[in-house]
Amino acid sequence: MRRIDDLSSFHAAREAGLAKLMPNVPRIAVGMGTCGTGNGAEAVYHAFADQIQGRGLGYKLVRTGCFGACSEEPLVNVRLPGKPLVVLHRVQASDVTAILDDIAAGRIPAELALCKIEEWDHITSHVQYGCDYREIPLWNEIPFFQGQKKLVLRHCGLISPLDIEEYIAVGGYEALYKVLIDSDPERVIEQIKLAKLRGRGGAGYLTGLKWEMMRKAQSGQKYLICNADEGDPGAYMNRNEIESDPHSLIEGMTIGGFVTGATEGILYVRAEYPLAVHRLQQAIEQAEGCGLLGENILGRGFSFKLSMVEGAGAFVCGEETALIRSLEGKAGRPTPRPPYPAQKGLYGKPTNINNVETWYNVAPIVIRGANWFQETGSAKSPGTKVFSLVGKVQRTGLVEMPLGTPLKTFVYDVGGGVAPGRSVKSVQTGGPSGGCIPQDMFDTPVDYETLAQLGSIMGSGGMVVMDEDNCMVDVARFFVEFTHSESCGKCVPCRSGLDQSLRILNKFTRGQATEADLVTLDEISRMIRDMSLCGLGQTAPNPVLTTIRHFRNEFEDHLRAKRCRAGVCEDLALSPCENSCPLHMNIPRFLELLKEDRTEDAFLSVILDNPLPASTGRVCQHPCDNRCRRAGVDDAVNMRDVHRFIADSAFADDALYARAMARLLAVRKAATGKKVAIIGAGPTGLACAYYLSLLGHEAVIYESNAAAGGMLRYALPDYRLPKDTLDREIGIIEGAGVKFVFNTVVGRDVMLNDLAGEYDAVFLSIGTWKESWVYLPGTELTGVIPALPFLEAVAKQQPVTVGRKVTVIGGGNAAIDSARTALRLGAEVTILYRRERKDMPAIPEETEAAEAEGAKIVFLAAPHRIVGDAEGRVKAIEAVKTRLGEYDSSGRRRPVPTGEVIRFACDTVVLAVGETVDLDFVKASGLKLQESGTMLEVDRYSLETSRKNFYAGGDLITGASNVSNAMGYGKKAARNIDQRLMAEKRWSQLWPDFEYAQSAPHHPSESGRHHVREVDAAVRAKTFHEATLGLTPVEAMEETCRCLRCDVRNGD
Amino acid sequence: MPNMISLRIDGELVRVEEGHTIFQAAEAAGKQIPGLCQMKGLSPVGACRLCVVELAGVNRLLPSCTTPAQEGMSVTTQSARIKSYRRMIVELLLAERNHICAVCVSNNHCELQALAMKLGVTHVRYTYAYRSFPVDTSHPRFVLDHNRCIVCTRCVRVCAEMEGAHVWDVMGRGVGSRLVCELNRSWGQASSCTGCGKCVQVCPTGALAEKGCAVEEMIKRGQSISRLAETRGGVL
Repeated sequence: MRRIDDLSSFHAAREAGLAKLMPNVPRIAVGMGTCGTGNGAEAVYHAFADQIQGRGLGYKLVRTGCFGACSEEPLVNVRLPGKPLVVLHRVQASDVTAILDDIAAGRIPAELALCKIEEWDHITSHVQYGCDYREIPLWNEIPFFQGQKKLVLRHCGLISPLDIEEYIAVGGYEALYKVLIDSDPERVIEQIKLAKLRGRGGAGYLTGLKWEMMRKAQSGQKYLICNADEGDPGAYMNRNEIESDPHSLIEGMTIGGFVTGATEGILYVRAEYPLAVHRLQQAIEQAEGCGLLGENILGRGFSFKLSMVEGAGAFVCGEETALIRSLEGKAGRPTPRPPYPAQKGLYGKPTNINNVETWYNVAPIVIRGANWFQETGSAKSPGTKVFSLVGKVQRTGLVEMPLGTPLKTFVYDVGGGVAPGRSVKSVQTGGPSGGCIPQDMFDTPVDYETLAQLGSIMGSGGMVVMDEDNCMVDVARFFVEFTHSESCGKCVPCRSGLDQSLRILNKFTRGQATEADLVTLDEISRMIRDMSLCGLGQTAPNPVLTTIRHFRNEFEDHLRAKRCRAGVCEDLALSPCENSCPLHMNIPRFLELLKEDRTEDAFLSVILDNPLPASTGRVCQHPCDNRCRRAGVDDAVNMRDVHRFIADSAFADDALYARAMARLLAVRKAATGKKVAIIGAGPTGLACAYYLSLLGHEAVIYESNAAAGGMLRYALPDYRLPKDTLDREIGIIEGAGVKFVFNTVVGRDVMLNDLAGEYDAVFLSIGTWKESWVYLPGTELTGVIPALPFLEAVAKQQPVTVGRKVTVIGGGNAAIDSARTALRLGAEVTILYRRERKDMPAIPEETEAAEAEGAKIVFLAAPHRIVGDAEGRVKAIEAVKTRLGEYDSSGRRRPVPTGEVIRFACDTVVLAVGETVDLDFVKASGLKLQESGTMLEVDRYSLETSRKNFYAGGDLITGASNVSNAMGYGKKAARNIDQRLMAEKRWSQLWPDFEYAQSAPHHPSESGRHHVREVDAAVRAKTFHEATLGLTPVEAMEETCRCLRCDVRNGD
Repeated sequence: MPNMISLRIDGELVRVEEGHTIFQAAEAAGKQIPGLCQMKGLSPVGACRLCVVELAGVNRLLPSCTTPAQEGMSVTTQSARIKSYRRMIVELLLAERNHICAVCVSNNHCELQALAMKLGVTHVRYTYAYRSFPVDTSHPRFVLDHNRCIVCTRCVRVCAEMEGAHVWDVMGRGVGSRLVCELNRSWGQASSCTGCGKCVQVCPTGALAEKGCAVEEMIKRGQSISRLAETRGGVL
C-alpha cells in the first residue's frame, strides 16, 4: 500500500475505500466475528465465494465483524448499487443459492431480511446508501436496535476490519490527521476532559484527568497501554469491537500517544481471542505500511510504535498493576498504589492504561467535539456504553445504549423479556465484580453511580438476565468460585477470605448451613471488600453482598426450609417437578410405580403426598409443567393428569381402594392425646387436619358451611370438579380420622379464645370469600354481581338469574369459571380483560376451553362505566381501549387508556377482579396483620402467627391463590405443629419405603405429550357434566414412559 | 536536611521526614501498628493487610506500610472496625494451613501466635482448611515447612534485596500459592542459595527454621537483619 503523507494521498485512499464500500456491483458482506463464525458464517462465506466464482458473477464479497444481534447470527449484509443495505439474518449455507438468484434478478430476499439501513452515521462521516424496500423495517425500528446509539460500534459489521481503505472511507484517521495538523495536545486533552469521558473498563475514572497527569509526567520514555484483557464471564464487547473495527482502536491510541507524549503503545489482548489478535496484528501492519503508525506519522514528524502482547488469561491481569507486572514478564500480581502507573508504571516509567472501549471514544470526540458527546447519556456520565446482554432474554447480543438508560429497557424492550410463562428475577451486572439487581428495581438508570449504590458495578458491561430457574445463592457461589480460583493469593483477605466464603456458600447449596454461617458470610464479605489489596478482592464479595441484600429470603430458604426454589441446588430437591410442587409430591415415584403396573402402590404414594388427588388432578395450576426437563426434548410430561388417572382408577376399584386405605391407616401414628382445632374446611384446612390426624393428633375442623371442601365445593363449577369426586376424597380424609364440626362460624358460634383453652394448637385457614369491588360508576345497578357469590349460589343449586348477555370483568380463574357457568345457564358471554392474553392469571387451558365454548374475550379493554336503564337495570357496559405502556414492577406492560371507548350491550355484569379474606374475627382476636392490612402475618417458615400456638396458612396469608398452594401451606403447618407439640421431628416417619426402579430410562418413550380428552365444546357447553375425561390407561402409561427420571442419583 | 511534615496519629501530633510511610511515622511516635509482611529493612508489599488504618476524610482503609505519610493527615490506628478486621485476618491465617502451636519449633517465639494473643483471638470461627503441603528438608542446615507458611514473602524479599540471590519466589495462585525455590527445585539442590540463613531469621512463623530445633527452640533474630539494613543505609 502507498504511504499516506499528504492530503491528496489521504483523499486517494478515501476514494479507493468508498469504491469498495459502495461499489457499482452488488456487495455481500458476511458477519464473521467469533459469534458469526461460531454459528456457521465460515460455511456461508465459502458458499458465496464458490458460487460467485462458479457463476462468474462480479459481486464483491467481504468479511465484516458483527452488527450486534448475536441471537440472529449468521448475519449477512447485502447491498445492490444505489439501494439500501439490507441485513439478512440466520443465513445458512443452503440459503446462498436462493440469495444469489434473488440478487441476480435485482431483488432482495425479503424473507431473510432482518432490517435495512438507508443511511448511516459513522460519526466521523455519513453514508447514504439509498431508499427503497418499503416492506423491510429500518434498523432502528426493530425492537432489538430501538433506542440504541452506535457510537463505539459505529463501524462494526459494516466495514471490513481487514481493509484500512474502507476504514479511511468512513472518516477513519481523519481525527488523527486533525490532531497532528493542529498540533495542540493541551486542547485535545481539554476536549476529552470537557466531554467527561470516563473509563469504560468499569471504574469510571475521568480519562482526561488521567491523560493530563500522564502528559505532565517528565520522562524520556512513556507508555500507553490498552487493556483488552476482557475476562468477565458473559462479557465479550471488547472482543467484538476489536474483531469488527481494529483501526478505531489504533487511531484512538495514536492520538492518545501524541497528546500525552507517549512514545510507545502496547495492546494487552487475551490469548483466548485469537481472531481479535489476528485482525489487530493485520491492522497494525496495514497502518504501519500506510505511514499512519510507526515513524514520522502522516509526515508530521511524530513517531509512535504500537505492539501487541497476548495475555495468558489470568483474570487478575485485567487489574492495571498486575497487567504491568505481566508485561514486564513477572507473575501477574498487583502492587499497592501509590505509586500510580502515571508516576511509576511499566519498567518504572509513566504509564497510562485505558480500556478498549475508552479508546474507541477518542476519535468521535476529536471530530465532533465535547458538546456533541455530552448530548448523549447522563450529565455525570455522558456517552454510551456497550453491554453484552445475555442470559434468559429472548434476544441476546451487543447493545450500545446511552448511559443512564433504565435497566428495564435492556431487559424488556431490547431483550424482549424472558420466555413466555416465565418471569425475570434479576440482572447481574459487572460480572464477578458486580452484583445482582432484583426485578423490582429495574427502573434503575444504568450508570456508574446508581449501580454502585445498589452494591453492584457497571464493570466492563456484562449483563446477565436471570429468571426463576436461577438460584441466587448458586449465582453467588458461582462467582465466588470464579474469583476464588482467579485470586492471585498475594493478600490474605482475598486469598483466604474467599476460600472461607466459598466453603460457606457450598454449605448453603448443600443445605448444611446454619444461621451463624449467614452472619459469618456477611461479615467476611465486608472484610474482603474493605481490606483487599486490589480491585479483584475489593469487588469479589459484591455478588455475595448484593444477593444477601436483595435476595435474603433465598438464603433463608436454603438455611431454614432446606429448599432451593429454583431447583438448582441438587441436594435440596428430589427433581424439578417435586421442587416446583407446592405439596412437594414425589412425582417421579408415582409415575414409576404406575409404569411398573402397581396402581395400588401408586395410589398410596399419591395420597400420602396429597389427600385430594382427584381434585388437584383436575384443577391444579400444574407448576410442574413449567419445570419438567422433558420440555427440553418436546413437551412436559402430563403429570397432573397421570395423578388424576391414578386417583380415578383407585376410586373405580373398591377392593384396591380398601387395601390402599388399610395401608394408609397402618402408617398412622399412635394417639398422642394432643388436640388441634382447624378453622375452615377448605383445601388448606383439610390438608393440615389430614396430616395431623395421621401423626396421631386429634384434628377437629370447624366449618361454617354444611359440607367440607371450601372453594373446591362452593366456587369450582361441577363441570370442572364433580361433587361426587370431591366427596370420595373427603372420604379419605375422614378415613384418616379427621373430625368435622359443620355449620359453625368461628367468631360467632365459637370464640377463638375458647378454642385456645380447649386445644393444644389452632390452625386458621379461611379462604378469600370476600369479593373485591371495583369503583366503577354503575356498580349499584341491578344485574351487577360479584363472581364468588354467583359461583357459590350455582354450586349450592340456589336459584340464580343471569340475563341473556353477560359481561365478565377480569382475567383470573374466577372470571373464566363465571363465564363458563353463565354460558351453561344459557347466556351469551363476553370477558373484558385490561391486559394481554399472556398476562392472564387463569390457567391457559381453561381460557381456551371457554373460548371453544363460545365465550368472547376482549383484551386490552378496561371497564369504564356500567350503563343502566330507567328501572336501574344494567343495559350496557363501556370500556376504554388500552394500549401497552411501560413495564411495571410485575414485568408486565402497564395498560394505558387510549381514550377510545367501546360499548357492549349486556344485562348482567359479573365482577371477577379479585378476592380478599374477611378478617373481622381475626382482628377481633388481636392477631397481627401484615403491613397491607389485608392478610395475616406469620413466620414464613413456622407459619406461626403473632400468638403462640396459633398457626395460619393458605389464602389468609397469601391472598387469593390456588388449590395446590393452599394445600401446601396446610401440609407445612401440620409438620410444624407436630414438631412443636411433640418436640421431635417425626414427619418423615409417615412415609413407608417404596421399592421401585432407580434408573433413568435408556430409551424414554418418543411419544409426544398426551392431552386430556375433552367433551366436544358444543355438547359440554350445555351441561354441568364434567368437561374433561382424563387420560386412557394406555395414554397414562405412555406418559409415565416419557419421564426422564431426574430424581435418580446413583442409578445403574 | 530533608523536608519534615506533620500529621496526627490517634490524635497525637507527629513530625516525620517526608517520604516516610504512615507505618514508619507511627513507629517513630512509639506506636506499634500490627503487621506480618512488613519488616524494617525490606520493601513493603501490603500483603497481609493487618496494618490498615483509617484516614479522616477517606472512606477506604489504607495499608499503613505502603501509604506515604502526608502533611495534615489524621490517622486512626485502632477502631472497632479495624480491630475486628484484624482479628478476622489472624483467624483466616490460622485456619488456612496447619498452625498447631504445641508441636511447632517456633512456639512462644512466633509473630503470628503473639499477634493472635495480642488481638484476643481465642478461637477461630472458620473451617480449618488443613491443606497438605510438603516439607522441604533437603537443605543441610535449614528446613522449610510450607504448612506453617503465611506467604508474607519476607524471605523472598530479604534474599532478593539484601542477599542479592533471589532464591525464593511464590508459585501458584490463590490458596494454592506457595513459596518456590528457584524454578521449583528442592532447597538442597538450589545453586543460587548462599546458605546465609537470612530467610530463616526474617520468617515470622515456624515455616523456615534451623535444623535440629525441637518445639519452642527456634528463636529468630529478625532484628539483626533490620539493623544490617540500617547500617547499609540502602533500604528505608
